[in-house]
Amino acid sequence: MDLAQLTRDLEDLRSEALAQAAAAPDTTAVEALEIELLGKKGRLTGVLRGIGGLPAEDRPRVGAIANAVREAIEAALRERGAALRGGELEARLRRERLDVTTPGRPLRRGSLHPSIEAMADIARIFAQFGFVVVESPEVEDDLKNFQMLNIPPDHPARDLWDTLYVDQPGNLLRTHTSPGQIRVMQSMAPPIRVLLPGRCYRYEAVDASHGFEFFQVEGLMVDEGTTLADLKGLLDQFAHAMFGAGRKTRFRPGYYPFTEPSVAFDVECLVCGGPGCPACGRTGWMTILGAGMVHPVVLQYGGLDPERYQGFAFGMGPERISMLKHGITDLRLFMDNDLRFLEQFR
Amino acid sequence: MRVPLSWLREYVDVELEPEALAERLTLLGMEVKSIERRGTEWRNVVVGELLSVDRHPRADRLSLTRVTTGGGEPLEIVCGATNIAAGDRVPVALPGAVLPGDRRIERTEKMGVTSNGMLCSGDELRLTADADGILILPADTPLGVALADLYGDVVLDVDVKPNRGDALSIVGLAREIAAVTGASIRFPDSTVTEAGQPTAERLRVEVADPALCPRFVGRWVEGVTVGPSPAAVQMRLIAAGMRPISNVVDASNYVMVELGKPIHTFDAAAVHDGRIDVRLARPGERLETLDHVDRELHPETLLIADPAGPLGLAGVMGGADSEVSAGTRDVIVESAIFDPISIRRTAFRYALRSEASLRFEKGQEHRLARIGADRTARLVAEWAGGTVAPGAVDTNPVEPERGRVAFRPARVNRLLGTALDSTDQAALLERVGIEIDGSADARGGSATEVQVRVAAGDRPLSVEVDASEVLVALVPTWRRDLEIEADIAEEVARIHGYELVPSTLPSTPMPSFRSSPLELRDGLRSALAGAGLTEIVTHALVAPASLEQVRWREPIDVADGETEAGGVPITVTNPLSADHSVLRQSLVASLLETVSSNARRGRSEAAVFEVGKGYGRVGEETREWWRLGLALWGPFDPPAWNRPSRDADLDDAKGVIGYLTGVLGLPAPAYTPVPTEPNLHPGRAAEVVARSTNGAIGLAGRVGEIHPELAEAFEIRGRVVVAELSVRGLSAGQLPVPRVAAPSRQPDAERDVAVVVYEDRPSGELEAAIRASAGPLLRDVRLFDVYRGAPLAAEERSLAFRLRFAAQDRTLTESEVEASMAAVMTSLAAAGGRIRS
Repeated sequence: MDLAQLTRDLEDLRSEALAQAAAAPDTTAVEALEIELLGKKGRLTGVLRGIGGLPAEDRPRVGAIANAVREAIEAALRERGAALRGGELEARLRRERLDVTTPGRPLRRGSLHPSIEAMADIARIFAQFGFVVVESPEVEDDLKNFQMLNIPPDHPARDLWDTLYVDQPGNLLRTHTSPGQIRVMQSMAPPIRVLLPGRCYRYEAVDASHGFEFFQVEGLMVDEGTTLADLKGLLDQFAHAMFGAGRKTRFRPGYYPFTEPSVAFDVECLVCGGPGCPACGRTGWMTILGAGMVHPVVLQYGGLDPERYQGFAFGMGPERISMLKHGITDLRLFMDNDLRFLEQFR
Repeated sequence: MRVPLSWLREYVDVELEPEALAERLTLLGMEVKSIERRGTEWRNVVVGELLSVDRHPRADRLSLTRVTTGGGEPLEIVCGATNIAAGDRVPVALPGAVLPGDRRIERTEKMGVTSNGMLCSGDELRLTADADGILILPADTPLGVALADLYGDVVLDVDVKPNRGDALSIVGLAREIAAVTGASIRFPDSTVTEAGQPTAERLRVEVADPALCPRFVGRWVEGVTVGPSPAAVQMRLIAAGMRPISNVVDASNYVMVELGKPIHTFDAAAVHDGRIDVRLARPGERLETLDHVDRELHPETLLIADPAGPLGLAGVMGGADSEVSAGTRDVIVESAIFDPISIRRTAFRYALRSEASLRFEKGQEHRLARIGADRTARLVAEWAGGTVAPGAVDTNPVEPERGRVAFRPARVNRLLGTALDSTDQAALLERVGIEIDGSADARGGSATEVQVRVAAGDRPLSVEVDASEVLVALVPTWRRDLEIEADIAEEVARIHGYELVPSTLPSTPMPSFRSSPLELRDGLRSALAGAGLTEIVTHALVAPASLEQVRWREPIDVADGETEAGGVPITVTNPLSADHSVLRQSLVASLLETVSSNARRGRSEAAVFEVGKGYGRVGEETREWWRLGLALWGPFDPPAWNRPSRDADLDDAKGVIGYLTGVLGLPAPAYTPVPTEPNLHPGRAAEVVARSTNGAIGLAGRVGEIHPELAEAFEIRGRVVVAELSVRGLSAGQLPVPRVAAPSRQPDAERDVAVVVYEDRPSGELEAAIRASAGPLLRDVRLFDVYRGAPLAAEERSLAFRLRFAAQDRTLTESEVEASMAAVMTSLAAAGGRIRS
């Protein structure tokens, strides 16, 4: 092997390799070429094996040529590789194209029932004023549902609550959450601020605004100085929180045997905003709750001295609140469980 | 109560527009529910005068009239009524008129004669009850005027509260209006012109028990002619919602509406010996009431009777035999006060609640007995002729003094949050006729202490207060609702105006913290909604059949601290319908009913849950227990082009339950087969339980596909999976706060094991065997594959589990993991499994 031959072989390898690199069809071929040409057992190495037969003074020259050939091949492969990679990526992206206008894979959406959610809303608002939730039984006795609430047997006010009685003398399905007032006063010491939510029952034919099962939220606040003015202030806050800060409210006399003075509380009609419409009976107002100062007889049955303690109670229908809020006009929807109705409460 | 404004205006001047008046009344606690304008439905109805009334040329039963309405050519109108004569003034509906009931009047041809409109009866105008004759108007009624301008009226529907029986009358409401507007009030004239034999010589009244009838005033009117009331009276009664009957009966109803005093009138000829007894019914007595129902009388029934027997149910309904009728000559007027409770019970007992009994139930002003009798006698004589006999029979002519209610103005302010001084309060009260007796005498003479009534009724309470702090209210006799200090406070607020009560926020001490019983319940509800389920609320009252149909054979286990289901069902004794007559004991029937009703509406899937109660009675004790129920039916995932549709199955329900135990911080639930529950598919039902590390049950219940027969009974196509669960804290609880550890820096070791068992061998048992034997390094076991087929035998399947081992503090050695796996395999083999290599 002489220098000239080795130099020729190297030059041949270079030109052949450059031609091969330029002709490589894809990046896999480029990688294979790299191994074939430049690998440990590659052709360049093979050519250089002849270097051992050269005189020592020629070796550096061959080494220099070999390096130049290697660099040239490397550059050619790199260039070809880069060119191919760009094209291949482009092809892949082209291949992977989707019709992005098709709908996605939908998730199932659940919903919470508006009666219960309205109760939760009410509880959340009053929690800011220190009211805590307490629950009491649905099967009650006449004593706590009526008599201890200052509604003796045969009292004409009993007409306000048509009652469902159960097959145990003296027991009934509570007609309101108010018996919870007695239970709370008997078991908790003032200062008392509680909310009593729950299911109630009445002997009432079902129509767009009545049902025989419904929910109620009772509020009770008793301590040594709570006034009717405080009730008014708190209910104003509630109405603003529930229906919007600008809502006008109206505080007017009502009647309940277990409060004295008694209150009816209205908000400006949510449909017409005041001038009067069919939804508000053309009055411009919608009644949202009844309230009043706890009657001294009720305080006494709760074990509290009415000379020392005073406070207020209020009661509202979460369905009514929900109806006003969401523009629902038929109470029956709340227990109809038509999923097309319920699924709208997201 | 329906209040015609024209009637109200007789007793008080009202200058406000109806809307403004309605608002004032509402703010005064007399809520006006609606405002009705009567007469707006009469369009083109005017006053006309009959110029001539002749026989119709071609019809004997019709008349041909010529009518003038004041101007223009007279109109020819055909009429079928017989009560008309030339010169009468009558309502004329001109062509184009519209009458109540949307009845349109046009020019028509009647037997060859053109009729240019219609003469109207009182009934056609809904003005009076007379449908047979044309309404004859007073002779001085101006011609051509629209009828609406003459007889149109505004009727307020006022919701008078049960404690204000005194306001259940025109006069009572007039008083309220006078109080707020400052107008003065005029009372109805109850003076009578008397002649003939005195009442006392004709009528004797015996009251057996004055507690049941504290006062009975009777009067006698002789020689009446019973017939229709004057048209104006009928108009009033109809506007007020009463049906005109006859001049005598109308007089009593008129007085009831006007004064709030129910009155009864008897045909005197039917009252034997002129003697009336007020007494309780005797055993076996019967009475045919005015509604022509023959009733057996209960011995607690208070009666008006004569020596021959019952004449009427006191305060509730008269008897048919003594009814005032066309032939009645002499009339006895009964104006009595009865015990409210006795009347209420009688009215309920015979299902005869009437305008009269409603007023008696609320209590009556004692004075009204006398005033009502006089006023009725006067009106009977005025409308039916006859002579009022001198004097009255009165069983208790002593009229009570005004009630005295002592109150502390300072306490009133403390209750209301107002700053009204004594003078202000006194002035407000005086506007509703409450006088203030400030004399030392009123405050208890020379004593320095005065009793102030804080509570009355069945828990009376009075306190002794220094006289200087006290005012004494002299309550008008008609106000039966003012008894205690708080009543006076309300009256002060009411007259002052609730709108003027300040609006403040409480400044009293805050109660201490108390966690909400709803916290866990709400957490689970939100989690389930987040997982795609819809919350439902169904009736707790169900049909007995439904209760029986979907009853668990074995009660489900109860979670720690929750109430156990059980006891006999609680039944409603007066249900609205049999469909809702018993309290449910399980949620499942309600869930299935919801699926079914939605299927009927065209739905093809449902995923719903309810948090609700079951109810039962054990001995005397009532139990209410909280449960969580869910039902899955049809494809759980919404339909999509890019996903195959798959119906929800048992594993989806178990997935939801597993998700819940995760939310609850409980270990994975364990399932055991329940092949014996009749409502569930015997091969697709399981008992589920998840225990916390201390062994307490955190969640327990039953999950399964419902039995195909039950699905059919509910008319549901396809499979429905249901679960009913008892959850610790569902009745009152908080979601647990998880204790967490930093992730281990050491890698976990995972090993798989496949075990071959027969098909009937539950996977859960093998998993339990793994957990029991793997030792403390085991972190997790997961079934990841189930294989059937070659080379396994036909009844075999291979269950592949992946076990994860880790130690918090070090890398596990190969030998440690292998030792655990060896133990696992030994226990699987012992459990009857063959390890597949």
